[in-house]
Amino acid sequence: MIGIGGQPLFILPFGDIVLYFTPFTLTLFIFALVFTVLVIISKPERQIDIVFGGDAYLAKEISISDMKFRRFMAIACGLASMGAMVTGDIFDFALFTSLVGICNVGIVAAVKSRHVQNAAYQYGLVAMSATVPLFAGAAIVAATTGTLSILQLALPGATKVPLLVKALLTLGVMGEGMAPFYAAKAEMFRAPGAPYVIMCSLSSLLIFLRVIEVVLTV
Amino acid sequence: MIISRISRFISNFDNLLALFAGACAVLAVLFVLFLPLPYSEDQLYPKEIDESSPLYPYERGGTPFERADIHVQYPENSPFAGYVTAYLTPFSLALSRLTPHAGTTIVAHPGGILDEILYNTRGLDTVVETTILFIAFAIGSYLFRKGS
Repeated sequence: MIGIGGQPLFILPFGDIVLYFTPFTLTLFIFALVFTVLVIISKPERQIDIVFGGDAYLAKEISISDMKFRRFMAIACGLASMGAMVTGDIFDFALFTSLVGICNVGIVAAVKSRHVQNAAYQYGLVAMSATVPLFAGAAIVAATTGTLSILQLALPGATKVPLLVKALLTLGVMGEGMAPFYAAKAEMFRAPGAPYVIMCSLSSLLIFLRVIEVVLTV
Repeated sequence: MIISRISRFISNFDNLLALFAGACAVLAVLFVLFLPLPYSEDQLYPKEIDESSPLYPYERGGTPFERADIHVQYPENSPFAGYVTAYLTPFSLALSRLTPHAGTTIVAHPGGILDEILYNTRGLDTVVETTILFIAFAIGSYLFRKGS
């Protein structure tokens, strides 16, 4: 297997869907794993607003049940990112990417801030419509090459995926949280509750790095 | 000047959906211009549609306890491919003999048709699909209960 990922170190077969760990995807996987563990063991921050020109400050109280739900969504998002990092199948990658998008909305679903909710709503609309180019890309990959396995598509003699289909896939992933559509996510971070909300940013970064590898490999 | 105007437009998240729609439209136009794309005749999951079969459209062939002819990408990963798709429970078998529409009730009766490709060789897809549904349901029910 040529490409930017390097040789697979380890292959985990689930029938036709083969997860492969190249040095590149393994690095991203470990990154997502470490952050998920941090989310599991850490306590959330307590956001404090300081009033300029005076010594007043406001501490934002967030209930335990809100935090539990946000942590659950952050862990689910971490698991989805891990899956998207190592999966060796285009359709499976599309599924994991859309799972990441839904989890991102879920992380901020409980925030009682109008601004954050508006941003999350806009992000949700873009993420939802992004599934159309994403899954269309995966479907056309299957139609033009006859297979969905990235390992098969990376073989030297394999049929190459047309450039426009790669663009479709990339546009689908961009809608799930790349610049410039990242702007809504950046507003979502204003929600209190780091490190859970940081998972939104991290998962975007990871799926962005992975889709580059996928597009350059197939 | 123009860059600051563009960045001001992009930084407002209310414009993002319009921006995304524009990007999709541009790509769609490009896509139509580059048609037709080549179709690969060598498909991994070929399917013949036999409308007279009672298991239509889920018929993938085979008789119970014998191996059906299933194409998979990695045969070494699915040593028992071909046994699942042929099996019907006695109830489903009777149903398929009574009515020509047993294939349309894939989830409506126990032990119906288990599509080999869907549930065995590409089982992880099915797991992730249901996970998406569960997560969406969890968010929806949480928001619903938050209001009360």
